[in-house]
Amino acid sequence: MDTSSFLVQQLINALFLGSIYALIALGYTMVYGIIELINFAHGELFTAGAFIGLIVLAALQKYGFVQTHFVLTLFLVFGMAMAYVGVLGVAIEHVAYKPLRNASRLAAILSALGMSIFLSNGMMLSQGVSDRAYPALFGLKGITIIGARITYGQVFIIILSLLLMVALNMFVNWTKLGKAMRATAQNQVMARMLGINIDRTIRVTFIIGPALGAAAGVMVGMYYGSVRFDMGFIYMIKAFAAAILGGIGSIPGAVLGGMIIGGVEVAWSAFLPSAWKDVTTFIVLILVLYFKPSGILGEDVSETRV
Amino acid sequence: MRKMGILVLCLAVAVGFSSMAAAKTLKIGTLSPLTGPYAQDGTDILQGVKTAVAVFQKAGGIPGYKIEVIPGDSACDGGKATMAANNLINQGVNGVVGAYCSSATIPSSVPLNEANIIQITPASTHTDVTARGFKQIFRMCPRDDVQAWSTVKFLEDGLKVKTLALIDDRQTYTVGLTENITKFVNEDKKIKIVALEHITPGDKDFTAVLTKLKKLNPDAIYMGVYQPEGSLMVRQAKALGIKATLLSEDAVYHPKFIEVGGKAAEGTFLTYAKAPDTPERRNFEKTYKKMWNAQAIGSYGYYAYDSAMVFMEAVKKAGTTDTNKVAATIRDNTWNGVSGKIKFDEKGDRKLAHIIWIVKDGKFVPYWDPMTEKYF
Repeated sequence: MDTSSFLVQQLINALFLGSIYALIALGYTMVYGIIELINFAHGELFTAGAFIGLIVLAALQKYGFVQTHFVLTLFLVFGMAMAYVGVLGVAIEHVAYKPLRNASRLAAILSALGMSIFLSNGMMLSQGVSDRAYPALFGLKGITIIGARITYGQVFIIILSLLLMVALNMFVNWTKLGKAMRATAQNQVMARMLGINIDRTIRVTFIIGPALGAAAGVMVGMYYGSVRFDMGFIYMIKAFAAAILGGIGSIPGAVLGGMIIGGVEVAWSAFLPSAWKDVTTFIVLILVLYFKPSGILGEDVSETRV
Repeated sequence: MRKMGILVLCLAVAVGFSSMAAAKTLKIGTLSPLTGPYAQDGTDILQGVKTAVAVFQKAGGIPGYKIEVIPGDSACDGGKATMAANNLINQGVNGVVGAYCSSATIPSSVPLNEANIIQITPASTHTDVTARGFKQIFRMCPRDDVQAWSTVKFLEDGLKVKTLALIDDRQTYTVGLTENITKFVNEDKKIKIVALEHITPGDKDFTAVLTKLKKLNPDAIYMGVYQPEGSLMVRQAKALGIKATLLSEDAVYHPKFIEVGGKAAEGTFLTYAKAPDTPERRNFEKTYKKMWNAQAIGSYGYYAYDSAMVFMEAVKKAGTTDTNKVAATIRDNTWNGVSGKIKFDEKGDRKLAHIIWIVKDGKFVPYWDPMTEKYF
């Protein structure tokens, strides 16, 4: 393996890891943008998505559906996981966050932490403590570009996550509902005065954010081949860092942040002693926040919150 | 002052009660990770102990004693394990089976040693576990340096590799292995170690480190990790097109490794002790599978079963729960376990050697014996 193929391979590794982080970070950033709450249960929603995907996939495989209708299987697995977790997201919002909308921010954050513990333990009790194997959809086959290998599974996941990000951006910028979301994020009181249904807008946010997390969960399960009840934790930390790095509340920021975190992680392991990999993520985060407290693409807080 | 007196009285009454209870009940505590990433192995250990108690009592038990299992969660964490150990001490256990991670066993063994309670670890292989002169600690599984020796012997004389890359997850157990392997390799000077890489436990993506190793192109890669990371690592190594021989150790020797690793697990070599097929072993497997509705038994289930069994047999033989006498009984006798003949040395280590296994057609198959240098 020569240097150029080594670099290309690491670039693919970074792009892959970054797009997963970005997809999860979007869920954080959207919820924060709308109601200024860090949804700590997001990592568990991601895990729930992975489990629903596994259940659907295992059921389809049992009846030989995967071999005959491959594309339809993918649609079903992602669709069902995203739909279920979207509903779960709305339910959580209704039970844990809505009653606290006018309470102090700390109360809402504690409620989010509680929800995270509740969901995590619920999954532990219902799905067991051990790794669950994910049926291999793509296998280990792949293509070789300049000596670097990329599997079909990776190609599919990178393309799908980019598509989801583009679709989200279009939705937020070009549709009426997206406009309502942006208005609510800017100023809830004013938006309500102008006749925007705030409750509905928040509900939509809590469908889309968790659904994207669920899609990421299915991708992680499919690619890495296993899911476990506590797998959301590490992704939650990384995606949270990504959302803050890019500027929490900003959708392009979350994508950028995810890519940077993925890139820094891979670059450090590739060129420097791998023992310190996790430290770097947070050094980058601290440095960015030191020089630009609102994150790379974040809006200036003092301007929007007046 | 009067408050102090009441407190002392309460304490005296409490101690009195607990010693009264202990006279009738033999309490076996367990320490193993029941939560967190290694909860699978931890549950295997608890279930192994409970199976042993069930089998032992069915065979007659100890007359006049009730046997009770008190589970403790060590969470593979030194602090939590020590708290759990203290909790077991307060509940008046007579013996403890555990813990799992060496990094949890070593700190938690300190209060157990101070309270003079028998501890048998079914899984912790770090040399320090038995190297601190504790008289009441025993180890059911082979030590790190024994395992490292088997691995190095296989690499040098079995596979005859020239270059080797090591990976560990910076935990006490895995670092013990990679350090011992490095030591043996450097003594023999037959193999060159080209890299020592580290991963984070709980991570899912190791492609950056594996790509780095692919560039170095070693003949063999040694994965000093636990099963969840091991399964993911073989998949990613195969997806990256790494051709090097993959080796790992007893913490990866678990049915889940093959289940999650799938085709990518094929051809991986693992070090693990081989036990003779005896009626006791078959009986244990049958009872365990029935009791826990399990299809396969995790490797530490066997050691945990033997740990609890040896403890109960020793109490029965000594006719007392007195720690010094029970410890002497455990040390002086040879026991028949489901993991083979059990004889402890002065330190509390068992004479048990690893063999090399290979994953073939979705099963662990014996491959090479480092003692005789013969293929199976």
